[in-house]
Amino acid sequence: VNLQMDGDSSTTDASQLGITGEYGHYVLQSQDDESLNDHEDGGVKENYREQDIYLPIANVARIMKNAVPQTGKIAKDAKECVQECVSEFISFITSEASERCHQEKRKTINGEDILFAMSTLGFDMYVEPLKLYLQKFREAMKGEKGIPGVAVGESLGDELTDDSFTNPLPAGIITADGQSQNVMVYTTSYQQIPTVQQIQFS
Amino acid sequence: MKMSQNTSDKDDQSPSNKKNISLPISRVRLIMKSSPDVSSINQDALFLTTKATELFVQHLAVSSFNNGSGKETNSLSYSDLANTAEETETFHFLTDILPKKILARDYLKSLEQMQEEEADY
Repeated sequence: VNLQMDGDSSTTDASQLGITGEYGHYVLQSQDDESLNDHEDGGVKENYREQDIYLPIANVARIMKNAVPQTGKIAKDAKECVQECVSEFISFITSEASERCHQEKRKTINGEDILFAMSTLGFDMYVEPLKLYLQKFREAMKGEKGIPGVAVGESLGDELTDDSFTNPLPAGIITADGQSQNVMVYTTSYQQIPTVQQIQFS
Repeated sequence: MKMSQNTSDKDDQSPSNKKNISLPISRVRLIMKSSPDVSSINQDALFLTTKATELFVQHLAVSSFNNGSGKETNSLSYSDLANTAEETETFHFLTDILPKKILARDYLKSLEQMQEEEADY
């Protein structure tokens, strides 16, 4: 069995060693690590490494909380872990999309690149709902600016950020205007949960 | 509830708040830009990635909750996530950052057992 530092680990606890070998990939934990350090700031530091940038844990935790049954509990290290998984997911999609973009000699990653990347990487079930969301998003933006097809600039990010702490709607709700069907995605280990509308293969 | 005079769709209760995003887009962009060779990202791509991330969080949380001990204990733990990453194809890309945790003493015990087995040969 080789003991080695896991250089790619995005864990922020330096005392954890990655151990690979016959047991698969394990990490040692101390017996009382019930609560890891509080990472309230979302992990943005000055001299950041790629893997240190995270979305704010409050936002991530809220989405998780809305997804599981109402009475369900979520361990703190599970929240932090999903926070890291999210950054991994974003990077995963982005590099795939970026590659396709380069192959086609383009410099700007567009929506199609993202959707294609998701399809390629096994997130095919997100594609249809995302197209719907994009449509609604464009309509919302159009209505706001009063000019069809306007390119929205940098300030968009800030505007939407303000919504994040006050919007109580679960992100999973999908409604199609004027249509009675819901677009849903179904995975094998997925079960119907009343608190959130899920996506399933139609 | 935050009220803003800038845009009418800051009203949470309004059903016309179609943007409906609960993650900060600017932070998502930061993460995307930290990928090598990424020069620019258009607005659609940014929005889609942000929205997809929300779906991903829900998807991962629910799968792990149902798949693991969560249903009995009604809770989601780190090991539920690690197990799901290993067992579900879609989440395989997470196995490197979700190593299964074991207590040091359990590891050492297994190590001893393994050494004893080898000694038998």
